[in-house]
Amino acid sequence: MPDFLRHLWQKWFKPKEELVSFAEVFEHFQALLQDHQKIMELIADLGEKSGGDYIFDRKYLIDTVNDLHALLLRLVKSLNLISGNRYVELYAALDRILLPLEAELRGRLSLTETMPYVIGFKDAPLDLPELVGGKAEALMEIHRRLQAPVPEGFIVTTRAYRRFLEYNRLDDRIHTWLESWTSGEVEAMQASRQIQYALLAGVMPPEVGREVRREAQVRPFWAVRSSAAGEDSELSFAGLHETFLQVPALGVVEVVKKVWASLYSPRALDYRRRVGLLAEEAAMAVLCQEVVASRASGVVHSLDLEAPESDCLIIYACRGLGRTVMEGKADLDRFVVERHPPFRIRTQSMAKKKSYRRVSAGGGEEEVAAPPEEWERPALELQEVQALARWAVVLERYFKRPQETEWAVDDAGRIWILQSRRLASPTAVKAPDICETCASYPILIKDLGAVAHAGVGAGPVFVVSSDQDLDRFPDGAVLVTRYTAPWLAPAVPKAAAIVAEQGSPAGHLSTIAREFRVPTLVGVENAVALLPQDQEITVDTYNRSIYLGRVSELLRYELIQSAAFEDAPEFRLLRRILKRIAPLNLTDPQDAGFTPEGCRSVHDVIRFVHEKAVEELMDLPRFLKRFKEARLWTLASEVPIGLKIWDLGGGISPEARGGQVSIEEVRSQPLKSLWEGITQPGVWSTEPVPVDFKGLMASLTRTLGEGLAAPAYTGINLAVVTENYLNLHLKLGYHYNLIDVRLEDDPNRNHIYFRFVGGVTDLTRRSRRARLLADILSRFHFKVDIKGDLVLARVLHLPREEMHRRLVAMGQLIGLTRQLDMQLKSDEDVAQFFETFVKRLEPAAGGTSPS
Amino acid sequence: MAPKIIVIDDEPIVCQMSKRVLEQEGYQVETYVDSREALERIKTTPFDVVITDLKMENISGMDILKEVNQRYPGTRVIMLTAYATLDTAIEALRERIYDFFPKPVKIEELKKAVKRALETR
Repeated sequence: MPDFLRHLWQKWFKPKEELVSFAEVFEHFQALLQDHQKIMELIADLGEKSGGDYIFDRKYLIDTVNDLHALLLRLVKSLNLISGNRYVELYAALDRILLPLEAELRGRLSLTETMPYVIGFKDAPLDLPELVGGKAEALMEIHRRLQAPVPEGFIVTTRAYRRFLEYNRLDDRIHTWLESWTSGEVEAMQASRQIQYALLAGVMPPEVGREVRREAQVRPFWAVRSSAAGEDSELSFAGLHETFLQVPALGVVEVVKKVWASLYSPRALDYRRRVGLLAEEAAMAVLCQEVVASRASGVVHSLDLEAPESDCLIIYACRGLGRTVMEGKADLDRFVVERHPPFRIRTQSMAKKKSYRRVSAGGGEEEVAAPPEEWERPALELQEVQALARWAVVLERYFKRPQETEWAVDDAGRIWILQSRRLASPTAVKAPDICETCASYPILIKDLGAVAHAGVGAGPVFVVSSDQDLDRFPDGAVLVTRYTAPWLAPAVPKAAAIVAEQGSPAGHLSTIAREFRVPTLVGVENAVALLPQDQEITVDTYNRSIYLGRVSELLRYELIQSAAFEDAPEFRLLRRILKRIAPLNLTDPQDAGFTPEGCRSVHDVIRFVHEKAVEELMDLPRFLKRFKEARLWTLASEVPIGLKIWDLGGGISPEARGGQVSIEEVRSQPLKSLWEGITQPGVWSTEPVPVDFKGLMASLTRTLGEGLAAPAYTGINLAVVTENYLNLHLKLGYHYNLIDVRLEDDPNRNHIYFRFVGGVTDLTRRSRRARLLADILSRFHFKVDIKGDLVLARVLHLPREEMHRRLVAMGQLIGLTRQLDMQLKSDEDVAQFFETFVKRLEPAAGGTSPS
Repeated sequence: MAPKIIVIDDEPIVCQMSKRVLEQEGYQVETYVDSREALERIKTTPFDVVITDLKMENISGMDILKEVNQRYPGTRVIMLTAYATLDTAIEALRERIYDFFPKPVKIEELKKAVKRALETR
């Protein structure tokens, strides 16, 4: 659009910001925070119900989704009222997320016209099992979330399957045959043959065939596998559908049809009828993967179901390709391995492996005779056994069920995960008497905290206090922490359990813990002191007990016994809808994808809205231009910054008269706490700091407002307050400081946002100061982001007293760093100042900093 | 003899889950998704504890409650409902209900309620 047109457009159609008063904007902000909190609670609620700890029905799911819908609409509306309609695209994001969710509740697969026929692994979405099928979904999840080694490839989606049916007008015919079968008119065999014949004779739609060939041509051969809706992820369709190895690139299209046809084999039909899936629309995606030239292959059962009390897993292995393993045609090596590091082998038995299968050079497979001296040599080396055992345990921990995992080892000794599904128990496993067993273990903690995700987990204690600890977090450890800060998220998938001193079941970390199904207790007082580093413990959230040692009986009971509920359609539905609700993809506000278009879940939307609402409120100068009606008080204080206070209700004593108030007349608790820090003796140095020549020149030549995201100069220091709320805008020297605080009895509502930018002197020095501020704030458990010399920090959901301490510390920090950059001449200075400040601030922060 | 429990709810999931959980506790459990069938069963067979949904087609939880109280004064009734209002709670209490749970129900709570109900008979 030409510039003059854009100006006209903006002049005529710009939202009328002035229509909303300042007080109203703050009201909307408060309402927005409350709705945000309610949505977090609903998400937590849904998550909690998915843990098998509750009896619920479909009505509960429908009601909750309806509530979410209404709250989200209000939330987005509030943000647009606050921001002058700058985020109307969020309505489209809501549609994109909620419509498929509601379709899911109505029991329909929701494929839209824009979804692809064929999709590469790296582009495959994690949240659309109906598009990629269960097996591919599970593989993509473990590939991305657990970094499992999965052979590369692409997926022919269920949309391609539907297009194929439509193109060949097969829908009604299939339906008719199925009805004749279920009504008893024809045998399964006959219905199956008719449907399969129709599918195999169908013509691949040109647009689908083109895309399949384009992806297939990059390799000469492919392994082509089924990925039906529900397969592997929730229901085990083990061995029901077809797999083809070593398919030449040109043959992939025809083989895809064969895999589709296997959806209607007599066994597959019978299975779907038994599990009550026949009425649902069947659909199949097809997984095409690089062929692993296996030196050895097989399956691993993460638990020996015949002897669960032995706490062992079993690896079955053969030489060469693994097809013979699943088909039960080969004699197999069998390794019985302990389920915990260092994964010792208990027993092993070697089969006489006289021959093996391998891929043949021209495509297909061939059988090769093995030399007699190799017959009884193990198919796997010790370290391969251990690596496989580790993967089996990691996958079981992620899926929370005993797993049957198909694997391969290539010539270079690399392990590949081919698929993983639930290990079905052949017979009902007798649960041990848990009460009696547990009583013999010492209890470290009992009846403390709240359950964020129900379950049992065991491992060595690993206390995380800083980002650095995260990098060292070992697989399968119990994460013990003081705070449930969002930056802990990367450790969650690796954790066997989580114990936090602070936080609530509705917080971000709890939500993430549920996403990865990690048993989590929050609000466990003194956990860090009570749980010694490296000590093996067992966390049982059902009884809110933490035992010393590894209570294997309890872990096993949990793994086997709780498997019962998870098959119910309501649980599967809940987990499916949670995938559209709970995952948090927008974690970094600085990221280019942090936009309404980037929102892929309900959690993303509320994260985005929250961030932007705070940003709007932080931008006070823009607000001041919008609202001119305010009555301002001036704070009389020995700290001479002429702070103006705007009271929106309850922030100033009703007895206050005239234009001035003393700090005693201020009722706003966050402002009082902060002021307590600023006015501590020695904090507010008014002596001018000597400016060296370089610094002086920079201050003379630098244009105001050129800094990153620096707000325009307003000339006043302003605090907008209520009794529990503070929005403070300070301009001290050339630094801009914005602080937004909510301080209440309910920790879930509390936050401190901190933003610092600008400052006389050159960019290197300013960056040094930014680094210093970030170091100090991180030490007080703020989540800190730096961009140039802009520092953004926040801390959420701490109890009143903890918030108070941090505000006092922040007040000190503001005073002390006022002209700091002038003095930070070298990076060594930064380190030295850091020590000085931390020492000084420590008493105020009450010893909560990590050591 | 293991105590006998009947669970009545038109949502199959509620019946299935209650059955599994309570059988694990050692009770003998029958479940009905059709409240009319359940009522017929109750007329001929006494149970120690009745767990019923409030709002069901044909025969409501209140009808079940009245029938049970009339026939078997010693039987405890636990009501589950997604529509907990004060009015229904008061009416149910008037009809000598043992316990009242809004859905979703925490399994631990239900187990405890059944145990208490059996102990106080």
